[in-house]
Amino acid sequence: MMTQLLKRLPESQSVLQVYAVIAVMLSGWTITAFLRKLPSWLLTLNMGEIFALFSYSMVVNLLESLIVLLLILAVCSLLPSRFLRDDFAVRGTLLSVGVIGALMVPMRIFMQFGLESTGKLLAGFLAVLLLTALLFVFSSRIRFLHSAILWIADRLVVFLFILVPLFAFLFVYVIVRNIV
Amino acid sequence: MPRISRRDFLKLYAALAASAAFAGAPRFLSSARTEQSGKPNVLMFVFDAMSARHLSLYGYDRKTTPNLEKFAERAAVYHNHYSTANFTSPGTASLLTGMHPWTHRAFNFRGMLDRALVDRNLFKLVGEEYTCFAFTQNLWADILLSQFDMDLNFHLPCDAYSHTDNSLFQPDDLSGDRTLAYYVFQDFLNLRTEETHPFPGSLFIGSAELSKALTSDREGVSAEYPRGLPTVYDFTYENASVFAGVDHFTQSVASQSSPYLGYFHFWSPHGPYNARREFVGMFDDDLKWHSKPRHSFAQGDFSQEELQQKHREYDECIAEVDAEFGRVISDLEKSGILQNSYVVVTSDHGELFERGEIGHASALMYESVTHVPLLISAPGQDARSDFHSPTSIEDILPTILQITGKEIPDWVEGRVLPGFGGTEDVSRALFPMVAKDNATFRPLEKGTFAMIKGPYELLFFTGYKNHEDRFELYNLQEDPDELQDLFSKDINTVSQMKDELLEAVDAANRNYQKK
Repeated sequence: MMTQLLKRLPESQSVLQVYAVIAVMLSGWTITAFLRKLPSWLLTLNMGEIFALFSYSMVVNLLESLIVLLLILAVCSLLPSRFLRDDFAVRGTLLSVGVIGALMVPMRIFMQFGLESTGKLLAGFLAVLLLTALLFVFSSRIRFLHSAILWIADRLVVFLFILVPLFAFLFVYVIVRNIV
Repeated sequence: MPRISRRDFLKLYAALAASAAFAGAPRFLSSARTEQSGKPNVLMFVFDAMSARHLSLYGYDRKTTPNLEKFAERAAVYHNHYSTANFTSPGTASLLTGMHPWTHRAFNFRGMLDRALVDRNLFKLVGEEYTCFAFTQNLWADILLSQFDMDLNFHLPCDAYSHTDNSLFQPDDLSGDRTLAYYVFQDFLNLRTEETHPFPGSLFIGSAELSKALTSDREGVSAEYPRGLPTVYDFTYENASVFAGVDHFTQSVASQSSPYLGYFHFWSPHGPYNARREFVGMFDDDLKWHSKPRHSFAQGDFSQEELQQKHREYDECIAEVDAEFGRVISDLEKSGILQNSYVVVTSDHGELFERGEIGHASALMYESVTHVPLLISAPGQDARSDFHSPTSIEDILPTILQITGKEIPDWVEGRVLPGFGGTEDVSRALFPMVAKDNATFRPLEKGTFAMIKGPYELLFFTGYKNHEDRFELYNLQEDPDELQDLFSKDINTVSQMKDELLEAVDAANRNYQKK
């Protein structure tokens, strides 16, 4: 059973590439929000408290990124291998960008226009989904697109050398804060 | 079978744990507590955003508080009691520390007490012989209570008696890090749709909040709650359940432990003013209404009709709170708890419906937002006493220390209230303020500083962008609606009060000047 499941999963290198895309997108968002809040926190909180805030945020980030990755892997194991598994680095990247983008774009629209812009929010959400679907279809047919996506996913792996130790350290820090 | 959510499970678990602690875990209660110590118990009821100006107890035309009036028949009633601020963090911090906001430094939104001053709190000062328990529905007040966690025997979760809870996390979910939990999960990671430029730190938590905001219009609208259920950011509640819960909790503590100090800080009558059906429409009357022009420092621009409507809805909420309070007091009396307990009733700040503004925490520091109720009933008291000299929310801590027989430390800025060992001082100056946009540990440069002395109220607006500094002076006895600005007419009073106010602000800033 376990062997069969493992067989349905993609190679670890491509999983790493997809995870890099997810982690960079999600932590990029959080760090941007953090930097935006930082000036006001510097006026009211001390450095220890700000560090603890950052730690909690990054741990939440870690959990979110793992959830997205697990979801994509679950889809991968359920679908026939030609849909996702055989070209996981590219299609997995597209799928994760699509999922995260479908949350990011409406959120940006909301931040710009507020709750009154329901139509724009929906349009943004659908536009991202449509674009993802199109790229998904054409990624295997357009060679340049395929290699561009692969190139990006490959380059983003370097960030994991920073993010993974950071996630691990902050995770332990949060656990210790809540135990001690 | 009804579904039990994760939060319901946690609440049930917390309730069971609390009961178990009282039933079989005497480590919480020193042996001295279970003996007859002869020390009085103290129960504090704090109603968020309850303006004294809206209480029939103090002569308001609408009959909003028949139960408070009944309670006042056996209590000390303070007629000129003021908060030190116009929103929760600084007001509550002053109440619980006996210090002014420019000393305790919790004057920002979601403010925390100066970390070096955390030991200066009521729960610590009454000593270990007292069983201390606290509950607030206000998340900002809960940040402060979390700072005092070490001195509390029981700190109930904000949503302990709530109806529904829509948030992923509440501060009590991170019991080891409760003070920061609000900042992380309620503020940073979450999407605050009511903010001008929201930016959730977590894309997923923020998106969940956004979809909730898009799909739910007015939550809990029902025949019972025509305007929706009362709401505190992430959870809804019913006053009847909250007050019944507090009543029940007090009775359980009282049956197991004495003496005790209980602090209950209710969200109502704070906005969004969703009263229960029987109170809706009870004030559809022709209340005399003074139209006041929009103030240049007002952030809102509400029309007279909107102001009047919200004013009416707010009064309905006060009437509901009053009815629930009446029920609790009646219960406590029946159970004999009032026979050996002091009961303190007050608020952290008031509410304002004038000059284009609704609510509190704005630059406008008019009396409606600083003048709060205060009643203190002593054990077995059966007559009313009235005090008209100015008193401050900072006075409650030294007064409780006095009645519990504790020493009052030198750093306490409040005074013992008249009627409990203090004297009436009609010439006392009080300094309510709002300085929410200043750095915590730097001199205060932007804000509104008020001074109340004798019949006068001086307001000083300073540091606001695109505004010149400005003073206003009112005679509250002759002009209680603050319509006639005497700043350019009563030069003598202005000059005396201005000097005193500026000197007080300067003195407060001295410790924070750059060396």
